[in-house]
Amino acid sequence: MTLRKIAAVSAVALGLSATMALAEYPERAINMIIPFSAGGATDISARAISGSLGEAVGKPLVMTNVAGAGGATGSVAVMNAKPDGYTMLFARVGSHTVSPAMKATLPYTLDDFRFVTVYEINPVACAVTPASGIKSMDELIAKVKEGNASFSSSGVGTLLHLAAVMVLNEFGVENANTAATHIPQKGGGEAATAVLNGTVTFVCTNSSALANFVANGQLVPLMVTTAEPVVGFDAPTSADLGKPNLEQLVGWTGIAGPADLPDDISAKWGGWIGTATQDPKFAATMESLGSVLVSMTPEESSAFIQTQYETFRALVDQLGMRVEG
Amino acid sequence: MEDRRIHLQLGISAIILSLLFLVVLIPNWVSSPSNVSKMILSPLMWPNVIAGATGLIGAALLLGALRMPRLATEIPPDTDDPTRAYLRLFVLALILIVTMPLMPRLGLVWTTMGVSALLALLVRTSHPKTAFICAICVPLVLYAFFAHVAGVAIPQGNFVRLP
Amino acid sequence: MSFVDNVMAGLALVANIESFLALFIGVAVGTVAGAIPGMSATMAVALTLPFTFAMAPITGILLLLGVYKGGIFGGSIPAILIRTPGTPASSATILDGYPLAEKGQAGKALGMALWASCTADLISNLSLILFAGWLASFALSFGPPEFFTLILFSLTIIAGVSGDSLLRGALSALLGLMLATIGLDLIYGTNRFTFGSPTLMGGLNFIAVLIGLFALPEIIAMVWNPKAHEGKTRTLGKNWVTFADYKASFRTIVRGSFIGVFLGSIPGIGAAPAAFLSYSEARRKSPNKANFGKGELEGVAAAEAGNNGVAGATLIPLLALGVPGDVITAIILGAFMIHGLQPGPIMFVMNADIIYGLFIGLIVSSVFLFIIGTVAIKGFKYVADIPRGVLFPAVMVLCIYGVFAVNNNLFDVGVMFVMGGVGYLMMRYKVPSAPFLIAFILGPLLEDNFRQAMLMSNSSPAILFRGPITWFFWLLTAITVFAIARAGFKTIRNARAADAEAEEIQ
Repeated sequence: MTLRKIAAVSAVALGLSATMALAEYPERAINMIIPFSAGGATDISARAISGSLGEAVGKPLVMTNVAGAGGATGSVAVMNAKPDGYTMLFARVGSHTVSPAMKATLPYTLDDFRFVTVYEINPVACAVTPASGIKSMDELIAKVKEGNASFSSSGVGTLLHLAAVMVLNEFGVENANTAATHIPQKGGGEAATAVLNGTVTFVCTNSSALANFVANGQLVPLMVTTAEPVVGFDAPTSADLGKPNLEQLVGWTGIAGPADLPDDISAKWGGWIGTATQDPKFAATMESLGSVLVSMTPEESSAFIQTQYETFRALVDQLGMRVEG
Repeated sequence: MEDRRIHLQLGISAIILSLLFLVVLIPNWVSSPSNVSKMILSPLMWPNVIAGATGLIGAALLLGALRMPRLATEIPPDTDDPTRAYLRLFVLALILIVTMPLMPRLGLVWTTMGVSALLALLVRTSHPKTAFICAICVPLVLYAFFAHVAGVAIPQGNFVRLP
Repeated sequence: MSFVDNVMAGLALVANIESFLALFIGVAVGTVAGAIPGMSATMAVALTLPFTFAMAPITGILLLLGVYKGGIFGGSIPAILIRTPGTPASSATILDGYPLAEKGQAGKALGMALWASCTADLISNLSLILFAGWLASFALSFGPPEFFTLILFSLTIIAGVSGDSLLRGALSALLGLMLATIGLDLIYGTNRFTFGSPTLMGGLNFIAVLIGLFALPEIIAMVWNPKAHEGKTRTLGKNWVTFADYKASFRTIVRGSFIGVFLGSIPGIGAAPAAFLSYSEARRKSPNKANFGKGELEGVAAAEAGNNGVAGATLIPLLALGVPGDVITAIILGAFMIHGLQPGPIMFVMNADIIYGLFIGLIVSSVFLFIIGTVAIKGFKYVADIPRGVLFPAVMVLCIYGVFAVNNNLFDVGVMFVMGGVGYLMMRYKVPSAPFLIAFILGPLLEDNFRQAMLMSNSSPAILFRGPITWFFWLLTAITVFAIARAGFKTIRNARAADAEAEEIQ
């Protein structure tokens, strides 16, 4: 009896999938891989967009965290997936421009992915504690040049690591990658805490990760890397300080598929994102997190990511920061 | 097994493991960048410390075992027929090894049904009918829960997709 | 505003059906999710998060807190019934909970777990309300050197859970330390034992190791000898925890709760070490020392008090400083920010009504936990009656699904199988698995904090002795190591004397 039941169930299932194979993409739920753990910036951003994006797609989006190795584990899973559009990736600045620029051992390159959109941009801000007595970038640079400054990051080859080095480099510090001691932490939250408890002198990270501390007066922002001032951050922009190159230094979240993703699927994603980012509720959520909503087409996002990668790669090669082993 | 034999075998295994790490695994599979300024900060430091300590503990176990008196009486084996018990363990290992490549191809639901049924056979369950029904139902119920309530993308395999 | 005003404002905010309903549903969802291995409290909270976007801030956050609290308790149910920790925090509960279930006292163990959990939860919540400011400033004085000494001290727990041979316990711990080095090196970002595999770059998944180490050996042992448990009753029976049992363990529960509060208020330690520390302290102080690990009710009470003591206290750094202590509080921080709230010192001034509303909700959550926990135990108790030949194949399936779901990775299922084999070998060779687990959790923390401290000081070891906190933990470590060594020598001497006697008789 049970065997017959299985046979019946499988017949029905087979029939279903046979009829649905004729339908248009997407005909079933899409597996969206988040390469970072639950609760991180990427995860919250991905889950925030899943509502309005799911409506635009018309099929459920299954949010799947595959965390590990700074986003590499999840990215590899998508790189090796079938390019049928049913396995997509939430790509992030750390896993898709900084890591490829810095890590020789990374099991993927930018060419292994096809980016369909970038939907969120996060400005980067540098901050210190009020107790440090540092009030401006110039004072920070002076301290770094004295040789007793340190900065925290969420690990080697993360945005936080590269951001601090790039900022120091732009401000004319020589050998920017060794001038200040890099003390890596386990994650972004820990990196901010390290500044708070005096383990390190400063941190440069997404403004959203610092907004809370800045609002509470626990950290002092020294600079933001956008042309426009960031709400809640009483600090000069990189343009004010005459360092427009730093505008390349922003965090972003986007969506990517495997390299062989067909054109029509990529185009569909471009359309869906356009609809999803119009949703006022999603926009409000992202703004409260300190992000700037954008809606890039597949072409724009590829160009944006490529430019950022090349900027970072040039810096890494100039300073000899590439991690080989 | 008596304590003397346990300590003897553990001690020898720990020393072998320690040497394996110190001589083969750490030099070949832990990379240390060339710009490490201080030995104490090197990625090699901690694995070497652990491997060294494992060797020391192994030596201590070995010494302890040699000083223990031999027991005059044999401890009875914990299973009725050791040969068949080893055979069962071997079959279990085989089942688990085959499970790995089957999961992505057949899908988690069908594979676990098989594992569950085979495991019930292997332990000679006293309730074969119930075990068989469970082997069918448990994977289906878990699938329904994880896929539809928890929103986990359970691997479906290449053949039969469940809704 | 005075304290009374704040409380009234808070009450006005939470005293509505929605808030209490959200809290109640949260605790219920958490308990069930916690009871499913692999569906840890973290995952349950992450899955609930999107539902809170549309709710009022306080309602949404109470929902998340409910899930968190329920999840931490729920983990103890499978730990006791099927030797599978539902969440990492409940692994210490296995040590005595499962032997009790084997003896046919699952009901008693579950009851004690619930009572200890609720008591610890209440103590933890009260500590949050009364000492938040003080404990938060304390938490901020923990830099890498302080962490290093604290973790060094915590590693002495290993002696408390090693069973009858310290050497075998140490061997187990070293294995755990070694396996925890797999993955990317934190300081230089280079590979360690990844053998060229991208999946190993992230290290071994903690839950996969945990379930492999505890749940699978029991299944393999049954394959080795299917008839070992015939004739033994393994029913819940009428056994329920009595008030006398509770009173006997009360000191342990309170001690465990405060250990939990202390470790919980320091970001980055988590609930599992707290449970183990509470357990090993209880064992050290108990007159029934020898019965620990063989089914001692007080052991269950200690473990559950330790991990639930953490639950309220992790909110201390979160609310007072905006610093999340673990992944769960990081998600809750996200929920705050989505609603435009910014936890930190200013929030106590600007949004005092929300803070006090949360406090009231937390106190109520302890009561809900008690009600829902009692119902849940009644529901799950039938598991204890299922014959092993039917239960264990089902447990195997549950473990496969659960471990896959943690990180959506089939490789983790393989890790679980291999760790099952390792765990079974350890069982045959009487090597305890608890030290392995503690070392696996604490080892990376010890190494990372040591190297961070060395980076801070330019490799001068003097930094490890900065300030009173480091001295305090060095002293504590020295005392504990001395006590362990003395106890060890005593055992050896007694054993020799016994041997000599035995030889004389022969």
